[in-house]
Amino acid sequence: MVYPSHHKRIVEDLMGGKFILSNEDHYNSLKENDKFYQEFFKLSFDLDLILKPEFSYLLSKETQENFSRDVSIFVAILCYELDKDGQNFMEMLDYHEFNYEEIDRYFENSSFIDLIESNKALKDQDSRRTLINGMARRNIVHKSFEDRFLFTQAHRVFIEFAKELAMRKMAVSQPEENAGN
Amino acid sequence: MIKAEPRTILNFLHTYFDVVRDLFEFQSHDGLISKEAFDMIVKKHGQQNIVGKLKEYRIVRSIGSDFEMRDVYFKMMEFLLFEFKPLLPETIEKYKGAISELYMKIRLGENHDRDILMERIKNISHQIREFVDLVERNAFRLLSETRDLKSNIERVEYREKVHKASFWIEYYILPLNKILDVNHSESVTNKLMEVSEYANRKRLDFADETIRTEFEKLYMQLIQTNQDLLRQSKILTNELLPLLERIRTESLILTGFIEFLRHPYRTQTPPLLKGSRTMVYAKDMLFKVKEFFEQFETQEAVYYEETDMQFDKWIFDRELFLTQLNAELPVKDFFGWCSKMLLKDFSHIETEKFFAITGLLFDEALSVEFPKKDERTTIETLNARIDLPKIKIDNPVKI
Repeated sequence: MVYPSHHKRIVEDLMGGKFILSNEDHYNSLKENDKFYQEFFKLSFDLDLILKPEFSYLLSKETQENFSRDVSIFVAILCYELDKDGQNFMEMLDYHEFNYEEIDRYFENSSFIDLIESNKALKDQDSRRTLINGMARRNIVHKSFEDRFLFTQAHRVFIEFAKELAMRKMAVSQPEENAGN
Repeated sequence: MIKAEPRTILNFLHTYFDVVRDLFEFQSHDGLISKEAFDMIVKKHGQQNIVGKLKEYRIVRSIGSDFEMRDVYFKMMEFLLFEFKPLLPETIEKYKGAISELYMKIRLGENHDRDILMERIKNISHQIREFVDLVERNAFRLLSETRDLKSNIERVEYREKVHKASFWIEYYILPLNKILDVNHSESVTNKLMEVSEYANRKRLDFADETIRTEFEKLYMQLIQTNQDLLRQSKILTNELLPLLERIRTESLILTGFIEFLRHPYRTQTPPLLKGSRTMVYAKDMLFKVKEFFEQFETQEAVYYEETDMQFDKWIFDRELFLTQLNAELPVKDFFGWCSKMLLKDFSHIETEKFFAITGLLFDEALSVEFPKKDERTTIETLNARIDLPKIKIDNPVKI
């Protein structure tokens, strides 16, 4: 049997919990063989392959909840602080190269300081660097230098999460408001 | 009828501009100036004496006990302050009806009365001017509102921003865009294009020269109008709509994040795969294998040292001792006999040798008798003192 090109790298990356980005060589092979890989991961490991135009990743019944929660809090606070600072946070997440000092400044002056200090992955500079390294291992960020990084398109998972949460919340509160009127 | 000279009224407006502006702003906000608000404004400026003039110059009029700024002044203030209230596109769309009707009457009546035709051309020109003016003011106001929403000076909550942005898009921008969309057969702009084509033909071939001139003016006005409307349409589609869409999206995302940060540990976050590498061997297999082989790599040398020391090479000869025992039967004290036998050959008794001889006791041929009383014998070996019962060995019973 002939496997698609970059097969080993595709399987290794996805099984390692990594996002494969559309600008990577093996993404095209994955996209071209979408059906094969959907079936391959489902039958071999009972995993679901999520293939988006900008990235791809695997989902399982057993998830890494803590990591996802830490990253969600990190992105949420960063977006909030960027917006408060008058920055266009969506553009910043798409194109801006962040440095550790900048991140520390936003987090140390944040009004969410109680939440930050109570979270092991965010409480201090070292913890945040560890979290960023974890995000880099999964391709959520790309480290351009030792102390600098950019978000990859994989950050959209968390943006979509926020959008859906807001819409759910607004859909729930809408009937309440109407009922109130 | 106003008795005052126009210049006098303008002077009055100039002198008491602050009062008039406050009245305008109050009416812009509330739609009407209540008596209390009216009194408060004139009192604030210390100008209670101008109330009569405001009425005389027909700047305000009474509505019951309240007041209202007259439309002409209200519009002038809007224009001077550039504070236009955005109109619902439905209000603007009414011009389509007026323009269409006049256009139809011009076409049908072009061979009838010359004077009414001229009046209709002038009227349609007026309607077009008003229409363009309203579109421009509306687009300007919407742009200004959108920028305010973006900069969020009023500190509007994100959810409210989503709501406002959606509201502007749904009720103002999209319908206004539809009115301005030249490709839409029902749009006002499309109708104006039709009028423009007609005016273009008539400015060249209409028999009456005066009317030709009027069509010429209308045509020139429509060229400029179409350019202006195109510019407004571009502002709406290229700037206003994307800006509002972004405000809506950004605010929606921030609403979601703030909602999440309220209860970060009670909200389910995006599922991510728990990274695992399926390997056929353990991760530390390499080290374990290395460790296993390394133990054979360095073999320690083992040295055996030859000794010249003499050692006792006594070997227990069972047959010999058994024969002697049988020869001496009956023996009253077996262990005492063992001791005596050893002392014949050696100066002292070694425990090992002693126990070797006592093994004779298990010979089935011997008749062993245990003492009825507690009779004991003590044997002293080189390294022990052994207390033993006196066991009697009899002659074997002959059957």
